[in-house]
Amino acid sequence: MKTSFYLFGILLSLPMCNVMHVNASETSSQQVIPAAAQLCTSCHGAQGQGMGVVGPRLAGLSAEYINNQLTLFQTGKRQNPTMLAMAATVQGDNIALVSEYFSQQAVADIPLQFRGDKVAISDPFEALAFQGDWSRVIPACTSCHGPSGVGGGQFPRLAGQEVSYLKTQLLSWQNGTRKGDVDNMMGNIAVKLTAAEIDGLSEFFANIK
Amino acid sequence: MKLLSILCMGVLLSLPLQANELLTELAPNASTATSSDPLTTLPDRQAALPAVEKKATDEYLQPAPLADIPTGAFGDKVRLGYKLFVNTQQLRDKYVGNELNCVNCHMNAGIKANASPLWAAYFAYPAYRKKNDKVNSFQERIQGCFSYSMNGKAPASGSPELVAISAYSYWLGMSGLMAKYNVAGPVPELSDVELVKGAKRDDFPMPKAISEHLDVTALSQLPGRGFPKTPQPELAYSPVRGMTVYQAHCQVCHGEDGQGQMIAGIAALPPLWGPQSFNWGAGMHRVNTATDFIYENMPLGKSIQLTVQQAWDVAAYVNSFDRPQDPRFKGDVSKTQATYHQHQGYYGQSVAGNPILGSESYPVFPLKKSVKQ
Ligand code: HEC
Ligand code: HEC
Ligand code: HEC
Ligand code: HEC
Repeated sequence: MKTSFYLFGILLSLPMCNVMHVNASETSSQQVIPAAAQLCTSCHGAQGQGMGVVGPRLAGLSAEYINNQLTLFQTGKRQNPTMLAMAATVQGDNIALVSEYFSQQAVADIPLQFRGDKVAISDPFEALAFQGDWSRVIPACTSCHGPSGVGGGQFPRLAGQEVSYLKTQLLSWQNGTRKGDVDNMMGNIAVKLTAAEIDGLSEFFANIK
Repeated sequence: MKLLSILCMGVLLSLPLQANELLTELAPNASTATSSDPLTTLPDRQAALPAVEKKATDEYLQPAPLADIPTGAFGDKVRLGYKLFVNTQQLRDKYVGNELNCVNCHMNAGIKANASPLWAAYFAYPAYRKKNDKVNSFQERIQGCFSYSMNGKAPASGSPELVAISAYSYWLGMSGLMAKYNVAGPVPELSDVELVKGAKRDDFPMPKAISEHLDVTALSQLPGRGFPKTPQPELAYSPVRGMTVYQAHCQVCHGEDGQGQMIAGIAALPPLWGPQSFNWGAGMHRVNTATDFIYENMPLGKSIQLTVQQAWDVAAYVNSFDRPQDPRFKGDVSKTQATYHQHQGYYGQSVAGNPILGSESYPVFPLKKSVKQ
């Protein structure tokens, strides 16, 4: 069921993909899409900019992180039927090549908010993001994901990511279908979040644009 | 083989030091008494805090939420204190000489119990120590953290920065006490001069409803103060074993080379050694103090995950690399070691055949642009 939805998504997005391809060659700063990444663009966009619910944004993630996630999909530590199939199409050197390509795609500049910029934060989700909730040993999300959640290295960018995707990820740690983060460091936090917090935090980060 | 045997030596060497630790608490520090140059004569303001035993029944003070900080001039000082404490990089090159922020070690903006919380510290100063090696007012203790933990230059006594951090600490502590003992109204305002002194003094304006429950001494030992003492390890701590712990549980965040990770221009994951971390005068360079911090607070978000042995070993590993020089160093590592390093630490020693730690240390209070990573 889920798979057919995604396939549908691919079909829908194929024509769009061409359009974006043209755009990409117009803006000459973009590098050429490696062959192994062609397939990916149908769900993630030619510049990895994401295509809503079809596929999350890959631009703004580090090569190291993308590389690692592809391996996690391949080994089933991170379970997603679509990406299990897709990750299988990239092997060997292509993993690095594809990861490199998407990591080099630009994301919009956003105004940065640092921990400590605001003292009293009335929005409970913004407070979690910048101050955490230490009564439950939840550190501020931005202490690992960086100011405004821009991410870096193995910490993925959250700012501006598709809202439903962020939500799915936090839920999949809770239901055990996403694993493989070193020492369970994100899983350990995700399991402490309430359903309302997962919704609120996903909205909060998705809206940082 | 060589590496191993040298490390073993290091461990053997450190055993007697363990026993000496308590003695240094009382030892006077003659060398800090006279000279007039403030930079080279810093007293040992990073001396170990009295270790408070952690008990399961401990109840920690609950400061009021930050939203309760009042509007107006006093509240503004409290808010500034919070901001400086969490984002201390605002003071880079002015008072700060590394990539750290106070909040990196005093977790949750100085609120988390057992991570040396400000609300407990405030009632423990002024603290008089034997002879010349005394910690005076609260602001002087903060100055110590600027000089050592922040590898910087302490703001002058009475400066807006020290007033602000003192005001924030006072507000946290007092709001917590008032809530606990049902004292109504806002936290009473104090003048700048009063604020920087700390509250361990008979002339401190403490509401009666509080002082009838807790006298000055009890207030200076609130549960949750400092970093709780980790039990002794079964085996003498070892940086060799510590490396394995580091690779499994710390490296992912603090980096293979201990340099942390920069995100958007700030060390979101702070460096643990090297030119951008705390210097050889900071409390955290002592293996025991680092153990206490790590055992209770690291890996981030886990609270206690490591075994006691792992915590000691990894603390030894982290502190077996070079870092910025001890600001009290006057050109002779062995003298600095003899005067200030009679405790569990590697200053003045060679670990794993590397140069003697302290002999090639990084500069104290360098300008940001001059530091190469
Ligand atoms: C059919 C659509 C589709 C195609 C084609 C596709 N993906 Fe995905 N991709 C997804 C979806 C959906 C997710 C979200 C999976 C989840 O919820 O865990 C995803 C997630 C990812 C992630 C995780 C992102 C993150 O932030 O953790 C990476 C990396 C990724 N895809 C890379 C690729 C690469 C590389 C290719 C090409 C080989 C590719 N994808 C092809 C749909 C697709
Ligand atoms: C201790 C460090 C740490 C903290 C604190 C932290 N995260 Fe994460 N987070 C990670 C790491 C590491 C990953 C990548 C996991 C992996 O490699 O699979 C991650 C991944 C994620 C993802 C998946 C993103 C993607 O592209 O797939 C989401 C969503 C997320 N974190 C949300 C949060 C939120 C919300 C908070 C605050 C409540 C938070 N994180 C706090 C370390 C952290
Ligand atoms: C590298 C970690 C680190 C950083 C960064 C740091 N401190 Fe500390 N601080 C410590 C340690 C460790 C102690 C406990 C002293 C000891 O036991 O040696 C301490 C003690 C204190 C105390 C006394 C606590 C008490 O209960 O007596 C205060 C106050 C303090 N620090 C304030 C600050 C301020 C303000 C900053 C930022 C300007 C700061 N610290 C930055 C590690 C740090
Ligand atoms: C999930 C990421 C993560 C892991 C894993 C982790 N730390 Fe940290 N560590 C942090 C962050 C973030 C801070 C700063 C906390 C803050 O500012 O709120 C920190 C602070 C510190 C500090 C005090 C600041 C400094 O730079 O000296 C020390 C010491 C430390 N960690 C040691 C360790 C050790 C040892 C381990 C392994 C047992 C470890 N950490 C594991 C993220 C991590």
